Amino acid sequence: MTMEGKRGTLRGCPSQRMTRRQFLRASGTGVGVLAVAGLEGCASSSGEINPKTGRRVVVVGGGWGGATAARYVRAADPSIEVVMLEPNKTFVSCPFSNLVLSGVRGLGSLSFGYGGLRDSGVKVRHAAATAIEPDTKRVRIGDGYLVYDRVIVAPGVDFLVEQVEGLAAAQDTVLHAWKAGPQTAALARQLQAMPDGGAFVLTVPPVAYRCPPGPYERICQVAWYLKTNKPKSKLIVLDANQNIVSKAALFRAAWQAYPNIDYRASNKVVKVDPGAREVTTDFGDKVKYDVINLIPPQRAGAIVVQADLVGADKRWCEVDHVTYESVKHRGAHVIGDSTTGLPVPKSGTMANAMGKICANAVVSLLNGREVPPVPPVNTCYSWVSDREVIAVVNAYKIENGKVVQVEQKLTPGQSTVYAQHAEGWAKSIWADVLGDGGAA
Amino acid sequence: MSRARLALVLAVPVILGLPAVASAAGPLDQPGYAKAVTCAACHGASGNSRSEAVPILAGLPPAYFKKAIEDYATGKRPSAEMEPFAKQVKLLGVDEVAAFFAAQRREPTPVRPERGAVERGRAAAAQCASCHGPEGQGDAAKLVPALAGQPAAYIRNQLLLFKADKRSPGDEPLTKMKAILKPIPDATLADVAAYYSSLR
Repeated sequence: MTMEGKRGTLRGCPSQRMTRRQFLRASGTGVGVLAVAGLEGCASSSGEINPKTGRRVVVVGGGWGGATAARYVRAADPSIEVVMLEPNKTFVSCPFSNLVLSGVRGLGSLSFGYGGLRDSGVKVRHAAATAIEPDTKRVRIGDGYLVYDRVIVAPGVDFLVEQVEGLAAAQDTVLHAWKAGPQTAALARQLQAMPDGGAFVLTVPPVAYRCPPGPYERICQVAWYLKTNKPKSKLIVLDANQNIVSKAALFRAAWQAYPNIDYRASNKVVKVDPGAREVTTDFGDKVKYDVINLIPPQRAGAIVVQADLVGADKRWCEVDHVTYESVKHRGAHVIGDSTTGLPVPKSGTMANAMGKICANAVVSLLNGREVPPVPPVNTCYSWVSDREVIAVVNAYKIENGKVVQVEQKLTPGQSTVYAQHAEGWAKSIWADVLGDGGAA
Repeated sequence: MSRARLALVLAVPVILGLPAVASAAGPLDQPGYAKAVTCAACHGASGNSRSEAVPILAGLPPAYFKKAIEDYATGKRPSAEMEPFAKQVKLLGVDEVAAFFAAQRREPTPVRPERGAVERGRAAAAQCASCHGPEGQGDAAKLVPALAGQPAAYIRNQLLLFKADKRSPGDEPLTKMKAILKPIPDATLADVAAYYSSLR
């Protein structure tokens, strides 16, 4: 049997019920072949998957934080094996996805493959991690498990669907579109199909949630679309918060151009009735809709709740501000939207920054070196029309081991120059997250 | 090998700041690497921006980089987007970050300007060459930046800021350039930017 033949055997995947020992016996080979073949292609295995031969970092989640961290561990020390677990084969950018609702951009222009990560030497496995066991340093994938030296967990957010009555049973039609992908396209179709004169209701969840300015940028995009295409329609915003959460003055100025917006602060939606096409607020007010975009309350991805990495609130993970190591379990690092305790927004730039800083910390720790204390950065652009952008920037320092904000600055207004910068940011950061080969 | 020569060979890694054991070398051995790592979100890997309006930092002379950071931090070069980060870089250690970008190999922008604009810009750029050099290579000793291969939209936006005296007002060495730019139409400045961007 040639080496290629052996690889083929593994790529074809042994029976999912076959143990590794059975598989090795059947293929008459040793561990070396497993190492050659790597992990790709197999949906599931039982027992230990691909036993560790050197130092290994497992990254759970291939979004903005996870993919960045995976690439940067390899960049800082190529002798460390990096396995990244991500069920989706396509990365779809949440930033800029509000432009899909207005039709200014297509979803395809925001969709990328993971080829650039593979080119960086990351072993990308399209499977969902089902559990993390910090005590034995294992990540479970169905019946099998991977052993790690350190794990970087970047699961993003999950939705607290049960906090809105009627939502659990209506998730096929009552859309959040808060994870870019099929729901983004589906909500755009609902908006396009809405009769002129209709009411589009958008609900903003209470903080903390992913992307603080995101709902308000979406309001701009939906309002711009309605003003341009369905001028008799209105956009009713039910915001659970007392005021616009981010860039308030800039958004209020931008909304001057959209008299079709009916913004109602302190209106938390607690119930949805798709039959009556109606939502109910915590004051008992009922609001009729033709199209609903219900963005539910959020917490960290389910896997960190299972792994007991969340705090007493059972929602978010506290971490060391320099290494991003969990305060609850050594050897497990958490980055991105799932974290709490740092004075930072849940943004793509922030997840990207945390991914790089955490990667450098993990490489330093695995090499017995001092961890360089580096603060993160935040840049956040919001599209307020089809061509104009506003931005907020946050700078930080590390003081006594904690991340402290140095300054927050807003652009003085909206402009097409900031739109150029936004496009530049997107192009750079997508490549930074996914590698140059990441572009689809 | 003579004793002097041997001493020289042994001294080279020390001079370059390289660790004595080559196998332990990695990006984290450069102090600027970890500190500059977050800049890539906008400025690209190793500071080689691939977009139209964000400048390339790779290969910038340290003195120029440090002046830019200083001007952004004090608001002399007004930018809501850069002012906070300039302050952050200063707190982190601007010398190390400047040294990191200076050591990176510059890759010219992949964004190709329109050929007509490049040709028109070539003629209009004649008066820039006395300071910026015939190939737009700049003069590091005089803090004159290399323009060759920078993204066109970035150069154009900066020319417009200089023309309106919105970038570094009161800087004596810049007064001559601002006077030259004053009567030039914005469209011509865009052509000049396209020309310099096209140079390699």
